[in-house]
Amino acid sequence: MQLNINGQSRTSTADPSMPLLWVLRDELNLTGTKFGCGIAACGACTVHVDGQAVRSCVMPVSAVANQAIKTIESLGTAEKPHPLQAAWIVEQVPQCGYCQSGMLMAAAALLDKNANPSDADIDAAMTNLCRCGTYQRVRAAIHRAAASMKKGGAA
Amino acid sequence: MKRRTWLLSALGATGALVVGWGVMPARSRLGSPELMLQTEGDVALNGWIKIAQDGAVVLAMPRSEMGQGVHTGLAMLVAEELDVPLNRVRLEQAGGDSIYGNVAMLVASLPFHPLDSEGGHKPAKIKMGEWLVGKVARELGINATGGSSSIADLWDPLRMAAATARASLVQAAAAAWKVPANEITVAQGVMQHASGQSAHYGQMVSAASGSTPSGIQTKSHEKWQLIGQAAPRTDIPSKVTGQATFGLDVRLPGMLFAAVRMSPILGGTAAAVDRKAALALPGVMKLVQLEAWGEGTAGLAVVGKTTWHARQGVQAVQVQWQPPGTGAVDTPRIQAALLNSLNTESGFTFHEQGVPTQAEKAAATRIDALYQAPYLAHATMEPMNCTAQVKDGKVEIWVPTQVPQMARDMAAKVAKVDKDKVTVHVTQLGGGFGRRLEVDFVGQAVQVAMACEGQPVQLSWSREEDMKHDFYRPMHLAKFQASLDDKGEVTSLRIKSAGDAITPRWMARAAPHLSGPIDMPDKTASEGLFDLPYGFASQHMSHVATKSGVPVGFWRSVGHSHNAFFSESFIDELAAATKQDPLAFRLNWLKDAPRYAAVLQLAAGKAGWGTPLPAGRARGIALHESFGSIVAQVAEVSLTEGQIRVHRVVCAIDCGTVVNPGTVAQQVESSVIFGLTAALFGKIDIVGGVVQQGNFNNYPMVTLSQAPQVETHIVPSTRHPAGVGEPAVPPLAPAVGNALFALTGKRQRALPLVV
Repeated sequence: MQLNINGQSRTSTADPSMPLLWVLRDELNLTGTKFGCGIAACGACTVHVDGQAVRSCVMPVSAVANQAIKTIESLGTAEKPHPLQAAWIVEQVPQCGYCQSGMLMAAAALLDKNANPSDADIDAAMTNLCRCGTYQRVRAAIHRAAASMKKGGAA
Repeated sequence: MKRRTWLLSALGATGALVVGWGVMPARSRLGSPELMLQTEGDVALNGWIKIAQDGAVVLAMPRSEMGQGVHTGLAMLVAEELDVPLNRVRLEQAGGDSIYGNVAMLVASLPFHPLDSEGGHKPAKIKMGEWLVGKVARELGINATGGSSSIADLWDPLRMAAATARASLVQAAAAAWKVPANEITVAQGVMQHASGQSAHYGQMVSAASGSTPSGIQTKSHEKWQLIGQAAPRTDIPSKVTGQATFGLDVRLPGMLFAAVRMSPILGGTAAAVDRKAALALPGVMKLVQLEAWGEGTAGLAVVGKTTWHARQGVQAVQVQWQPPGTGAVDTPRIQAALLNSLNTESGFTFHEQGVPTQAEKAAATRIDALYQAPYLAHATMEPMNCTAQVKDGKVEIWVPTQVPQMARDMAAKVAKVDKDKVTVHVTQLGGGFGRRLEVDFVGQAVQVAMACEGQPVQLSWSREEDMKHDFYRPMHLAKFQASLDDKGEVTSLRIKSAGDAITPRWMARAAPHLSGPIDMPDKTASEGLFDLPYGFASQHMSHVATKSGVPVGFWRSVGHSHNAFFSESFIDELAAATKQDPLAFRLNWLKDAPRYAAVLQLAAGKAGWGTPLPAGRARGIALHESFGSIVAQVAEVSLTEGQIRVHRVVCAIDCGTVVNPGTVAQQVESSVIFGLTAALFGKIDIVGGVVQQGNFNNYPMVTLSQAPQVETHIVPSTRHPAGVGEPAVPPLAPAVGNALFALTGKRQRALPLVV
């Protein structure tokens, strides 16, 4: 089947029932997306499918063929960070960092839909688990990124 | 004290057996240049520091980064002494020499009362104990990242290594320029002389090589430019782009993937295995029956072309499990046994002062309470994993570990090769919290790799395997008994606790040659109970060490994590029983512990203790010392439809000299959430040997919407740096429990909290 990942077309021979997460990680070596629980409970595996935040550990790859899949690898780079990534650095969000790819992808999907989220919006959208407890910095960084995007500048 | 003398004699005897009495002072940790990796263009000046041709500094890094910011904090110490910007320090994984071992962590295992070290002069018995254990630890050289000890341990050795390197570089420049060394200044890694000469370190390192100046002094604190200033963590940029390499992100040419299924019964084994259905699945290559490595549980591994194929395969194996010969464990039975131990055994006395029996006889009122805490899993976000390759008599492993030498030793044991045939690559750790002080999964990975004919294999656990095969925080119970005289003053406090000792089990895994048939008393079992700062005239604290058969390990803040809940809740009970404000009561009994009182007052002041709150909210306060740091917290709590909601936690911390205050705030915030998850939800139940919880749906975590706002206030200090990664965990549960008491009038005496 054809997969559209980070703007590139990739051919995959994966079993149709194989979760997208493992196609990304173990077949395509896109390891930024993480395994955390396997039951869509923690959000470490969050990617975008047609702009929606999706937990890839329970998403059969056949269900997302030909849809636009976006992973942390294309959110931004060290040289050209997404405003959320820049805000994440300013607010010094990550600790161990393992959950942060999923956290950032969930936040990016939120800002795509809601450019100025309230605390309640953030509470509702950000259900990813972080064992290091970075939550208050995640919240601050989302507000910071939203403000910077409104101004059209970097965080 | 008789018991302490006995303890020291035992330690001394152990030390003498292991290291001999040899040279009296502990050996230097400067190390020789040969200990560092030989890399082209770089020149090593000692066991810690190399200088690159462009003048960059390469630091040998023995400690693991698991989110606690240690790779930044330790690099700051070196940058400070070498007068280079932080971004000029590169890290290189340290080797296995004993200079990289953790001395401070072992010294901290001595069961001394922290108040005895509060004044300017430590008593001789403490100095002797610390010297003795320090010497043994220096010889053992166990490299472990744990016990909130990285900065405390490397504070002197790293600054000395960097200062010595700087002095030899300056001397080389002085000789080349024929000027006095003390006329050379260094800024941003560039040496300069008023004559106009200037050079960066890379230009002088060849000339400096081989010289080891002595009598070097590290900078006095007035001269610090980096230490004490918040520095952005150097590991963060790679963690926001998905580029950081955790254990599960290792990718090697031709790499296979392995999934694990251990006996669901702890300690059990596979009695009968039918592999046909599994091996018939596409992408499944082979099955390996796993031994129980590192005191874990035996099981199966299936190798496949991806993790998913391997997991499908391992689930398809038909297997009959059988319980261990010792029988299956059950938490209700263990709880009853612990209660029985409390009632029938005297245990080991960790602290005694005054005459408790007399005070108890003369008491007008007695207050009794029983406290308890359950087993807990670590639940790191990155499940256990290790990648291994066994080829040509050599073993190479890539592993997120807190103990690289234990991992090396395990790999050597499994592959039956010498330790020097094993290469260990430490990756980023997706959480540690003490779980990665164990190497059970390393043994599994090497065993599987041995069956893979030289191909590398990444072995990883599912969440369920990770939660059902942890080394759990042990269940603990404690009985409290206080005496009040006829004026309502507290005259005595007696605490007896019961639960499994962790340290003897872990030491047997970490240093088997040191392990004997008799367990040493484990300070971690009684820490947070025997070491209270309150000046009650008579005190008696003892612990009954049990062996319940459940694998137990160090869990962030260890014994303090539950004992602080017990002791600080009971102190609150005493305040209530004597009709005093919880803050005033504590301050009243802290007259001989001014540093504790100051931390408590700082937290209370910043939290607005005593000022009105919105209806339905209450505050609770708690104070606790652990890992050398004193922490006070005030929690603001409400109840909404029976749900506990913590709105705000104000935290004050005295952790001695602070290297990176940004990291301190991060770690306090982290500890509050970690402590809150345990306080609200944390509980592992075992029935018929099987752990009942298996994933985040039945072992939940605090989420963003439930997270309180955390404020951190640091007490300025010039004392030796103390712990930061753990000390803010213990006070959280009692602060919340005490707030619930203020709110409901019902005392919380068990974890997790239930209203």
